[in-house]
Amino acid sequence: MDIRLGNADLARYPFLNEAAEYMSQTYFNLDDLNLPELQHIVERASNRIRNEIIHGKPDYALERHEVEILTFLVGILIIKAINSDNLTKKHSLCEALRAEKFLVQDLKTQGELANKKLLVFKVFKELLKMDVLPSLKYQLMFEVKVTDYLKRSHLFHEQEWKLINRLVHDGRVFLDPDETVRLIRSELANLLFERIRQMNPSHIPTTIREHANILRSILPVAPRRLDNAPSAFPPCINHALDQMAAGENLPHSARVMLATYMLAIGKNIEEIVSLFENAPDYNERISRYQVEHLAGERGSHVRYLVPSCAKLRNDGLCFATSQCEGLINPVQFGRAAKSYSKKASVG
Amino acid sequence: MILTKTGEDLHLLKIAFREFYFNQGNMVEEPPKIRNREFGLMGFDGVMKRHLTFSSLGGLIASLIFETPSDVFASNAQYDFPTLPISEKGWRGAELIFDIDLKDLDMKCIRSHSYARCLSCSSSYVSGSQESCPKCGSNNIAESMLPCDRCVNGLKNEVLKLHRFLTSDIGISPEMIGTYFSGNNGFHVHVQDESFNDLDSRARADLAAYILGVGISADAIGVTKDIRNDFRIRFPIGGLDHGWRKRLSDRLGISVSSQKRLSNLIKDLGGLEQFRKRVAEITRDMGVRIDSQVTTDVHRVFRLPGTLNGKSGLTKILCTDLNSFDPFDESCQLSNREVTVRVTIPKLKLRLKGERFNLNEEYVRVPMFLAVYLISKGLAHAVRLDPGTGRFIVPASTP
Ligand code: SF4
Ligand SMILES: [Zn+2]
Ligand SMILES: [Zn+2]
Repeated sequence: MDIRLGNADLARYPFLNEAAEYMSQTYFNLDDLNLPELQHIVERASNRIRNEIIHGKPDYALERHEVEILTFLVGILIIKAINSDNLTKKHSLCEALRAEKFLVQDLKTQGELANKKLLVFKVFKELLKMDVLPSLKYQLMFEVKVTDYLKRSHLFHEQEWKLINRLVHDGRVFLDPDETVRLIRSELANLLFERIRQMNPSHIPTTIREHANILRSILPVAPRRLDNAPSAFPPCINHALDQMAAGENLPHSARVMLATYMLAIGKNIEEIVSLFENAPDYNERISRYQVEHLAGERGSHVRYLVPSCAKLRNDGLCFATSQCEGLINPVQFGRAAKSYSKKASVG
Repeated sequence: MILTKTGEDLHLLKIAFREFYFNQGNMVEEPPKIRNREFGLMGFDGVMKRHLTFSSLGGLIASLIFETPSDVFASNAQYDFPTLPISEKGWRGAELIFDIDLKDLDMKCIRSHSYARCLSCSSSYVSGSQESCPKCGSNNIAESMLPCDRCVNGLKNEVLKLHRFLTSDIGISPEMIGTYFSGNNGFHVHVQDESFNDLDSRARADLAAYILGVGISADAIGVTKDIRNDFRIRFPIGGLDHGWRKRLSDRLGISVSSQKRLSNLIKDLGGLEQFRKRVAEITRDMGVRIDSQVTTDVHRVFRLPGTLNGKSGLTKILCTDLNSFDPFDESCQLSNREVTVRVTIPKLKLRLKGERFNLNEEYVRVPMFLAVYLISKGLAHAVRLDPGTGRFIVPASTP
């Protein structure tokens, strides 16, 4: 299947191979980014990233395809120049969320334009190696292969994503546009993350470097990870943090674990609420209420304890490593090891 | 199990098994990409050797003749390095397999054809409702069971149900489904469609739950909680046309054309909670009794088709026509030459390899296939004639 996309379509999906081809056809040179007439693009990309750092939200504005493709590219160059894994993750997630919104729109309007229809399916096919077909039988429903569905649906913990709660027929699962896109959310972010990581620009133009330096200075000092090195957390906590960084909705039990753990190691409510910012269903008011409740500042005024390892194991939240040996509660993680190493250094 | 077999028993079993692999080695099925499979051979001493590889079917059969294992297993997974420990094998996908075992069917008839042998006083009896030895009261009991026709039909029914799920719901074409009699009390259904091979165990668990009929929520057919009116009905897009939605609505006698009917039904049952329970019961009942652990484990070794089952001496064999398939005939592949056994259960009746046997005497001459079957099931012992006296050499009874 070889589809020529209209260039206008590339504005919504600037990460497709076609966009890169388009760039190479225009004989664009990296150092052109230093030209004054391209400064508005550099500004635009830089602002987009600033917005991501400060608000953690993508920018949904849509311009002409030349602008969008270049903005995407410049954004990657800036990210490369800043060289922070956390920011790269955040940026990939935001670009994925952006694409997600356009994908849903395109799926909802499918059928209007044969061309659009093909485009949206191309994103699934080219990037995710997955066939998505409009259902001939049900309006505004899409069909994916049972295997493609199963490979992704286990990331979701809600009942409704269990295969048994889906309309399944003849090897296909039927999904509405939102569900179709939801199915690939974290995958798209991971793919973009990998693409960005593997990209190796020959050099970074000076303008980009300057913008990168400014943006680096506004990066939170101890960013999303709070101020502990990641390895200081037990595996269960790290796993939940990673899932959240990938834009996954955590099950309620995992949120309780995270929040109570962070309270136990002395984080304040502000810090903890900001932790949940990455969640796709983030809603500050609710998050704050929940954390305050767990901290015992609301309702029953009982401070909730961190669930035990046994309970977490039961809930499928435990990802024990050898360092977890003998632990009863995640808060003990690292403590035993520390005192041991002290002894060792004395002896 | 081992405790109940004498040296004489093991000797006879090994002869029979070796003969089989020597004469009928061509029955052993070569798994695709044999070099990338892990093999396991179980000895008659009950010790399993795992992490073995064979580069050809010929090499495997030679080993079977030479080592004469009681059971032969091969991984459904393919590995880059099948002989290394699990974490270093390099997993390259695994066939999807379902196991339907008599133990999961709750057949009422089972007790009536289960036999117990007291390991303290060596007496044997039909299990019935007895928990301990009727003679000496010991609880040290070895049980064995000869499945009856009703059991076999029960199993076949489940297999057919599974076929329907796999073809009409999951979309696997019938030629891609291999159904095997396990050689003892169950069937293995192998999916040969490779697009399922790279599913990990969580994905398989979800598929297994679908087939078992667990985890359904009433929301799937449009019944949701409503704070004021207990429940609310809004039929899903796509209606109740297919899969579980169709099964459920057929069983409940509802359709999208009458919301009222469903609403009344829920009220009659006593509200949303009761309705949810009812729905879960129905799906459990209509689901297939597969052993989901077997399907979910992607590092397992499975009995290799065309090899003997050490628990019966019957062969794991492909059933081309399930309806007419008779496990007590087609899978019985051992020789007819006669040997003597001492039967430990009085008045045993059974059918094997197209013949009926009424075993009324303690010492009887029977064909090898029957001898192996009874010994494997712990219901008889091998006996030799003393060449000098012409009398039976009775083996010392086991502890
Ligand atoms: S053992 Fe305890 S601390 Fe370690 S991962 Fe599991 S739950 Fe967390
Ligand atoms: Zn006894
Ligand atoms: Zn029976």
